Amino acid sequence: MDFFSKAARKSPWLYRINAGSCNGCDVELATTACIPRYDVERLGCQYCGSPKHADIVLITGPLTARVKDKVLRVYDEIPDPKVTVAVGICPISGGVFRESYAIEGPIDRYLPVDVNVPGCPPRPQAIIEGIAKAIEIWAKRA
Amino acid sequence: MAFLKILFDNLRKGPATEAFPFGEAATPDAYRGKVTFDETNCVGCNMCEHVCAGGAIRFSEQEDGLHFLIWHNTCISCGLCAHYCPTKAIKLSNDWHLSHLQEEKYEQVDHAVVPYRHCTSCGERLQPGGPMLHQLAFKGTNPRSQRLMNMCPDCRRKASYSGEAL
Ligand code: SF4
Ligand code: SF4
Ligand code: SF4
Repeated sequence: MDFFSKAARKSPWLYRINAGSCNGCDVELATTACIPRYDVERLGCQYCGSPKHADIVLITGPLTARVKDKVLRVYDEIPDPKVTVAVGICPISGGVFRESYAIEGPIDRYLPVDVNVPGCPPRPQAIIEGIAKAIEIWAKRA
Repeated sequence: MAFLKILFDNLRKGPATEAFPFGEAATPDAYRGKVTFDETNCVGCNMCEHVCAGGAIRFSEQEDGLHFLIWHNTCISCGLCAHYCPTKAIKLSNDWHLSHLQEEKYEQVDHAVVPYRHCTSCGERLQPGGPMLHQLAFKGTNPRSQRLMNMCPDCRRKASYSGEAL
């Protein structure tokens, strides 16, 4: 088991939750993985498709009222310990949707956030910078 | 044999992946990143606050001057503030290194005080106005315009009429 936890410390799985984003941030997240120019996997991490496998969770969007319960349910399925990254100003502050009747965010009202990556959307390099910070936290927490 | 050419081209060009975060990332000069504010040229028109799409800017009038506050965590880098600012006191830099830990969330703030001016003749409080406003209003500077600019409207009228500003 020791071997596995040591390995896990170096190679976290990334997981993405869209909490009602406009898709701008999600496109930038996709570019970090799919475009060789950015290639987030150099940092030893990889996107996965299931919350059960996730170590670092990247959340986009302002947490709309409609999607809130579903987001919290998926978030709860991610095993602890985990590192949470808010990508874009939407989850951080609500951004342009701040104080709207349809918004339940900012996301840290409901979830413990570790790293914030502001921008609307943040450029891929800024997301990679945020993920690098999350990996540092993950190495201590795992 | 076309693959040989591709292989050769790829070897010649080197990796397509940017070095960041292990090296510098190329950033265009015109990249819209963190907002910067220059209190010496702000005229306190509040236009930036009015047009700000993310509601990131707040001005408040206080004794020592106009207090400017921006919270970068709700700025969408739209550039409207810079576009509408008459004196270009507010601008967007190409700094995009904004990611931070949660503990620092509410420290992503810039604060500045834009001092009021006072009429050089009667001492009445005037809206702020820096050298850039002077340039724009008088299309250049000269000692006379400089003197008139730092007076309240009443004193300016008197000075112009009496000819003492000439
Ligand atoms: S931060 Fe901007 S780009 Fe990202 S989801 Fe919100 S509105 Fe869209
Ligand atoms: S760039 Fe847009 S959102 Fe940011 S401070 Fe200026 S007007 Fe506001
Ligand atoms: S920064 Fe520019 S737009 Fe904003 S109050 Fe000052 S002069 Fe007006």
